[in-house]
Amino acid sequence: MKGYTGKLLRVNLSSGKVATEELSEELKRDFLGGRGFAVKLLWDEVKHVDPLSENNKIIFSTGPLTGQALPSAGKMVIASKSPLTGGYGDGNIGTMAAIHLRRAGYDVLIVEGKSPKPCYLLIEDGSVKIADASDLWGKSTFETEDILQGRHGKNTGILDIGPGGENQVRFAVVMSQKGRAGGRPGMGAVMGSKNLKAVVVKGTGTIPAADPNKLRELGKKGYDEIKAKDKYDWWIGQGTMQAFDWCNENSCLPTYNYREGVFEHSKGMDGEVVIKTKVDRKGCPLCNMQCGNIIEDSAGLRSELDYENVGMLGPNIGLKDLRQVALLNRMADEWGLDTISLGSCIGFLMEASEKGLIPEKVSWGDFEAAQKLIVDIGKGEGLGKLVFCGVRSASEIIGKGSHRWAMQVKGLEISAYNCHACPGMALSFATSPIGAHHKDAWVISWEISTDRFSYNKEKVQKVIELQRIRGGFFESATVCRLPWVEVSFGLQSYPEYLEAITGNAYRWEDFYQIGDRIYNLMRAYWIREKGTWSRQMDYPPDRWFEEPHSQGKMKGVKLDRGKYDQMLSLYYELRGWDQNGVPTIDAFEKTGLKGVSKELIGRNG
Amino acid sequence: MAELKFLGYLAGKVGKRSQEVLLEKPQRLRDLLPSPFPEQDIVILINQKVGNLDSMIENEDRVVLMPMISGG
Repeated sequence: MKGYTGKLLRVNLSSGKVATEELSEELKRDFLGGRGFAVKLLWDEVKHVDPLSENNKIIFSTGPLTGQALPSAGKMVIASKSPLTGGYGDGNIGTMAAIHLRRAGYDVLIVEGKSPKPCYLLIEDGSVKIADASDLWGKSTFETEDILQGRHGKNTGILDIGPGGENQVRFAVVMSQKGRAGGRPGMGAVMGSKNLKAVVVKGTGTIPAADPNKLRELGKKGYDEIKAKDKYDWWIGQGTMQAFDWCNENSCLPTYNYREGVFEHSKGMDGEVVIKTKVDRKGCPLCNMQCGNIIEDSAGLRSELDYENVGMLGPNIGLKDLRQVALLNRMADEWGLDTISLGSCIGFLMEASEKGLIPEKVSWGDFEAAQKLIVDIGKGEGLGKLVFCGVRSASEIIGKGSHRWAMQVKGLEISAYNCHACPGMALSFATSPIGAHHKDAWVISWEISTDRFSYNKEKVQKVIELQRIRGGFFESATVCRLPWVEVSFGLQSYPEYLEAITGNAYRWEDFYQIGDRIYNLMRAYWIREKGTWSRQMDYPPDRWFEEPHSQGKMKGVKLDRGKYDQMLSLYYELRGWDQNGVPTIDAFEKTGLKGVSKELIGRNG
Repeated sequence: MAELKFLGYLAGKVGKRSQEVLLEKPQRLRDLLPSPFPEQDIVILINQKVGNLDSMIENEDRVVLMPMISGG
């Protein structure tokens, strides 16, 4: 199939062996790219391993759209068996490394084994070297990027980890371009476990396409269409921070460890404040709707903010000063820690302190304490040791019912949306294939615009539709979903892009089928690796069922467990999964995954 | 007085985040808004219930007009 380099680069850090392999036509046809490639490779190659052992592998995977001159196509997926959750883990990241990897002639990079000493990978077209990184170990992601750019030039794609990844904090991420992060379920820790500080890529070739002229024409049309959208100027001003006021108005802002959905200080830190405060904006390669808001933090340094990190490091820990939030965010980026999980961990500790479950005094909104906690978490010292492996693990350690308000699903901390009054979004978080993340299906607008409090079939169908589009297509194509979801860029463009790239005609039904295949295989991966499974894995935390909001327009509202249970059953039915959440043999076979179920037999709990 | 609240880019369209209107008789929502006003991909809540641009608004109603956002 055209439109792919067709090559996979495999580097074993234990042996130093470097190999180039052909990607099969079946893989390209059946799994498209990005997340699809990643889950298939993990399914085939990474079985029953300790995620932080040299037997785990980390996959840097692009898709057919990656690097083409198309709207927001500068993305790659980073995937591995997650050390945070023990299941399938991935994250997408906007980075020049994605484009350079394709230009260097590879669609996928797999790193396996473990280097005996700190190293970084240097890929320059066909040349691949494992270079010494002893001088980089211990340095922040910002310092690392500066040093590597100085050494290898500015026209370079760099992925790196901070001390958080080196120390294997289970929610350490991979960073790029001083502010872009990817791989929430501990992809940075996996790099750290391999002594892999960075990947540096320089590619000079041409990314293939079946019809380059047509593609150029479509790309230009796409960029023009985005700029002409009604919402474009507003988006450029606020980016994802437009959601802050919106979520507060609709009682879904994560506040005081998700107790509440409204924050009494929201006006002092919302999108309007960002517009007045920002000094610059930043974004991913090939994007003309850049979403990164740069503001000066309380120490006068630049920090890149978006909604998720403000929500989690602001209201969720009771912090009301945007510049202080920005400082915590910059620290997280420098240490290479996921801001969502970090905000959840700090909020968890503050609540544990308030309840007297830990002796340390950590009050809501305590900026000094939050800074110290970030350092302690990054080093795995002091109180940081308690949440080093996330809030699920912390709640298992301190007990006393704290699991009820450890805000996670499958071990991954929930993104910045409170769901006391959003049953559809609760289902989305609970069935997300990496643990509670928002990227696969974000359904809150839709449920508010229809019947917010219902648990009906239409809502379940909507969650699945969004999972197919966002989690299936966009993550595998591999291209950013934001042009579609945020400025209403037309979905009809994407089959046209794929046709110009691959030479094959696609319909959205084809993408849905690929998406369902990927979802079934991700679910199978979890079940195989966990060794047991039950529907309890697909539940949001007890807090949302048991403790109603005490403030705002949704005062008194909480989820209904019985109705949620019915909604989950419907979800399984529509996906062709049994009532334990395990795909049936029929569901596997319908999505071309014959034989997969054999590896699961006898493992269903 | 009816209160209209505008979120996101709709506030930019109207040039304000909220507005109070004294109504002598119930009026269609669209008649209280600048024209043209976006009709696609918006959510309208009137006293927390889903409404539309042709809903009738009375004094004491609290109306929120917001874009369909998608949570990043």
